[in-house]
Order: sequence, then C-alpha cells, then structure tokens
Amino acid sequence: MKRIVKSPWILCFLVLIIVILVAFNIPIEKRKYGLAQSGMTTDYTGLLPEHVDRVVKATNRTDLQNIVKQANLEGKHISIAGLQHSQGGHTYYKDGIVIDMRTFNKVMEVNKQEKTVRVEAGASWEDVQKAVQPYGLALKVTQSQSIFTIGGSLSVNAHGRDIRFGPMADMVKEITLLTPKGDIKTIRKNDALMGYVLGGYGLFGVILDVTLDLTDNELYTIHTNKMKTSEYESYFKDVQSNAEIAMHYARVSVAPSSFLDEMYAIDYYKTGKYDQKTKLKEESFVHLTKYSLDMGRQGGFLEDLFWNTQNLYMKQIENSQITRNNVMRSESTFMEFTKPGKVEVLQEFFVPVGEYGEYMKDLKQFLPANDADDDFKIHNITIRYAAKDKTTSLNYAKEDMLGLVILIQHGLQEDDVQNAKKMIQKWTDITLTHGGTYYLPYYPYQTKEQFKESYTNWKDFKDEKQKLDPNEVFINNFYQNYLK
Amino acid sequence: MKRKWNRLIPLIITVGQVVVFPYYVIWLKGVSLTFTLFAWLFATHSFSAAWGYRTFQTKKNKQKSHISFVYFGMGCAYLVVGQFNIEMDLLPYIALILQVLLGFLQGYFRAWHVEQDSYHLHAVNHYILVGWIMISLSFIKIISPVVIISMFGWLLCGCGLLKMLGKNVSN
Repeated sequence: MKRIVKSPWILCFLVLIIVILVAFNIPIEKRKYGLAQSGMTTDYTGLLPEHVDRVVKATNRTDLQNIVKQANLEGKHISIAGLQHSQGGHTYYKDGIVIDMRTFNKVMEVNKQEKTVRVEAGASWEDVQKAVQPYGLALKVTQSQSIFTIGGSLSVNAHGRDIRFGPMADMVKEITLLTPKGDIKTIRKNDALMGYVLGGYGLFGVILDVTLDLTDNELYTIHTNKMKTSEYESYFKDVQSNAEIAMHYARVSVAPSSFLDEMYAIDYYKTGKYDQKTKLKEESFVHLTKYSLDMGRQGGFLEDLFWNTQNLYMKQIENSQITRNNVMRSESTFMEFTKPGKVEVLQEFFVPVGEYGEYMKDLKQFLPANDADDDFKIHNITIRYAAKDKTTSLNYAKEDMLGLVILIQHGLQEDDVQNAKKMIQKWTDITLTHGGTYYLPYYPYQTKEQFKESYTNWKDFKDEKQKLDPNEVFINNFYQNYLK
Repeated sequence: MKRKWNRLIPLIITVGQVVVFPYYVIWLKGVSLTFTLFAWLFATHSFSAAWGYRTFQTKKNKQKSHISFVYFGMGCAYLVVGQFNIEMDLLPYIALILQVLLGFLQGYFRAWHVEQDSYHLHAVNHYILVGWIMISLSFIKIISPVVIISMFGWLLCGCGLLKMLGKNVSN
C-alpha cells in the first residue's frame, strides 16, 4: 500500500485500470415505457400514451375471476399486459383496467417423458428455457429473443428461426383460459376457440397457463452464406428441402452500396448431438454491438461499414456450434434506442416464398438506397420463415411465407409520423399486390382497408369476439383501431 | 498588485471548486445512468486526484509548477461540460475522461497549494467565502447547472491567463 501511494506511475496505472473497468461497465440507456396509473401508460415505442383507470397485478386466479365478473357488471374494460413489447396499444385501453401478468410467472411442471412444460402466462421464454434446459429440452418454436412473456407471444402468434415445427400455435397443447364471462376453461389442440385465443391479441380472455410441446436441445453447426437477393428464393427452397437444416434466418443489406442487392443467410445444421450441459448464453459485447448498430444508424458510408462488419462477423461464426436453446435467445439490449425526438419501430411484411424475388425488385424501386438525410430510415431487414398456419383466425400465413422484419426510425413530429404512415401504407400496398400480409403487433400505420384485405377472416374474428364477449370486457387500442 | 493577484488566485480557485461542486454533481448525476456508475465516476476522480497530488509531490523542481496550465486545464474541462448536450449517448464516456482530468489537476493543484505560504490564511477565508456565496446562490432559483459550470470554466481560464501574464512580466 505504501509503495502504491509513493509512486505516481503506480497510481497512474491504477487510474488506467479503473477507467477501463468503468468504460466497459457503462450501462446502455433503456427506453422508458410501461404501466402507470398516475401518468400515461405506453408500450415499448411510447407512441400511444393513454390514461388507464388502474393497474392490477395478477396474483391468483380467484382474484382475476372476480375482476372480470365485476367488469361485466360495471361495464368496465380490461386489457392484458405482459412485458409490453407490442407496439400498437395492445396492452391497454383508455380509462380501462390493465391486468399486469408479469407476477403470474411460475413454471409449473416440466415433463421430461412427454417433453412438455406447463407454465403461467406471465413467465418469459427465458424463465422457460432456464427450467427446461437442465432436462436437455428446448422449445419448438419461439422468437429469436427470450425477453417476451409466453402470454404475449402466443397472443400475437409469434414466429422465429425454426423452420421445421410450423407456427407457434402448433406447439400449444393446452391453455387454461379465463373467459370474458369470468369462467376458467381448459382448451385443447383442435378446439375451435384455440384459433381465436392464439393470435387473438388478448381479446378472448386471459391466458392463465399453457402446456407447450418441447423438443430436444440439439447441438447445431452454423453455416453462413452470402448471396445476391435474387438468388435467395431458390436458396431458401433448397434449405427447406434439406432435412439436415433445423433453423434458418437471413439478413438483407440496407447499406447504400448494396441496398437490397446483397444478403447473408444463417443455417443451423443438425449434428445429431444433444446437449444438457452448455449454459444458456448471456448478453456479451453489448457495448460493441450497440455502437456498431449506432454507427449503421447514421446511414451513408457508415451503414456500408456496418454491413461489412456484419459480413466479417458471419465469417467468424462459420462452423461454430450452438445449442437450440441458445439460438432462441439472441441479444436484445444492443438495440436500445433513446434518441430524443426519434423513435424506432418494427414492421413485418409477409410474402409467399415464391413471390420473394419479384417483391424485392419492387421494393428496390420504391425505397431510397441512401436514407442518411431522410427522416424515415431503414436500419435492418431480417428474413424469417413463417410456415402455413391452419390454426389461427387472424392468420398472417395462409401459405408458406417469408417474413421481412424491418427496423425503422422516424421522427416524432406530426409531419414525420404522417410521412412514415404514407411510406408504410405504400409498402403495405406493394406487399398486398404480391399476395402478402403484414403483422399486427406493431403500430397501426396501415388503414382499415389494408387490414381487411390482409386478414380476410376479420369478420369471423369480430363475430366470434362479439359472441363470446358481448360486453366488450376485453378490449384494447388494437381492437379500437381495427375492429370497432 | 501583481503579488496580490498571485496570492488571491488559489483562493478563488478553491472557493470556486466548492461552489461549483453541487452544480457539477447535478450534471454528473444526469450523465450517470445508474448510482453504480455515479459512484464509480467519483472513485475515478479520487484515484486521479491521488495520482495528481503525488505527481507534484515527487516533482524535483517545484518552482517550475506549470500551475497556469493547471488552471487552463481545469477551465477547459468545465467548459467542455457546458458544451455537451445532456442527451448525447457518449456523455458517460466524456464524463469519465473529465473525471480523470479534473481529478488529476485538482490533486496536483492541492499539492501545490499546501506548499504556498498563503495556504493557511486561505483555509479560513475559503470556508467563510463559500458560506456566503452558497447562501447568495440559494436565492437564484432558475439557472441551469451548466451555466454556472461554464462560468467557472471561463474564470479558471482567466486565472490561467493572469498567472501566465504575471509570470511573463516578472521574467
């Protein structure tokens, strides 16, 4: 100690160490959003602030039943919220009651023999992964990140990187549902109600718990391929017919010099080995990835640089091995965006696999390659496969589709929002001409007509809603916007 | 007159550092996203101050103190604080660098100051002046911390200039 204090150089070294430690531990600022009774309630984008009557934390089934029965008697409205990553006010309604499901999060049972898990709806996919991983099990279908709640993901009928197990709805074995009349009901695969609850955006009752089919936590080898966008359609058909590939996704360049021309695909090849020991991966190199993405967000040559960096990373991960569970828990913190006056939103468009090539040609005509000076900026396009869905009523995949998940930034001034609306409505029109649809968990830039054209079954969905919930107990901004 | 100024400048600086401290803390709190980071930034300052203090102590020729550059350096650091928008993503990193710089310079300055004849006289005046100035500032309700910080930055640069000019004249 005496020596340390005596020498300025040792003190200088100590400062250097502290600086490095601090620099690597500076946290990433996260978006502020969520449920509030005193202020305005928002979801992830903060675009639709609304006053709610009260927020009720879900604790037990009887209390929830009482709230629903009371709401029927008093003409009150209820919305259901999990982690609120939907972006169109799906989790709240003006002056309504919000049931916060995050406290309803127990993993109730893991059945190793039957390969199933029973879990309360407020648990996150991460909670499920932690519970099933020690048994060598993994989810069949889930999003690429594990930060969402089970109830939330099922209510939007999410999809991810799996290309073999069909839509998320197909892995649901059983649901315990609190109905709009306040009854608790068990619904099973092939029950008609299942198709309304899954992808039902919380309008048919509260999902209390679900039993999900699981599969083995297989070990995969990653193979990456860079290609022209025009080559992807046939590439993907080869992927589909290659039984050795279990999971797949792709990314399209949004960099000016290769805008919508270049892509890379990531395929997860089966190794035949199963894993019980590999730890679930945690977020790593968050600052590095966050600042790389921030660089890409500047547009122009920096976006080219970011694309080239991603290509280098793809070469790095070639031939590396990863477990199924870890494929399904990608990092998310690096995407945080808190620039004042701006917002980043998601949109997703689905087109039939056979339409992809022509669709991308049309998009190239429509979108500017360099958006550095524009308010409406595209930062990322990821391609996911969405298998034909025969279960849900508001169905976005009437046939095998490719989903383009798009990360968009725009301003918050009225003009900027209107411009974004105009762009996204035009984009939706292009999608519809190719027999496509758009995804409903996001901010409703689209018109009611575009909704009806995309979801031709909307009338049946609305009729069933009115039949099962005549008092409109379960309601949210999504219902108000598209179905009221 | 020149001698009087030279004696007064260290007092101005020690008083100013204490007066500006609450405003600097408000700024630093705004930059730090968590209390942990806030505490770590203070720790960085402290270690840097020890380094600065020891650097002066181990100096062979203490007559060549370069104290005017120290004033300039501290002044520039405070001016930088006043220049950056609080919403900038990189602010925590900038704050980290500033904490090292300010810590080192303040430690160096203190080590130099304690060896001056006027130090013990300054200590009493320092406490009294700080008391009065803080009472006066408490009546100013609406003022951004960065305004006070920037003003102190300019004052420090001015002190650096005076010190330098005084030195040139005596040479």
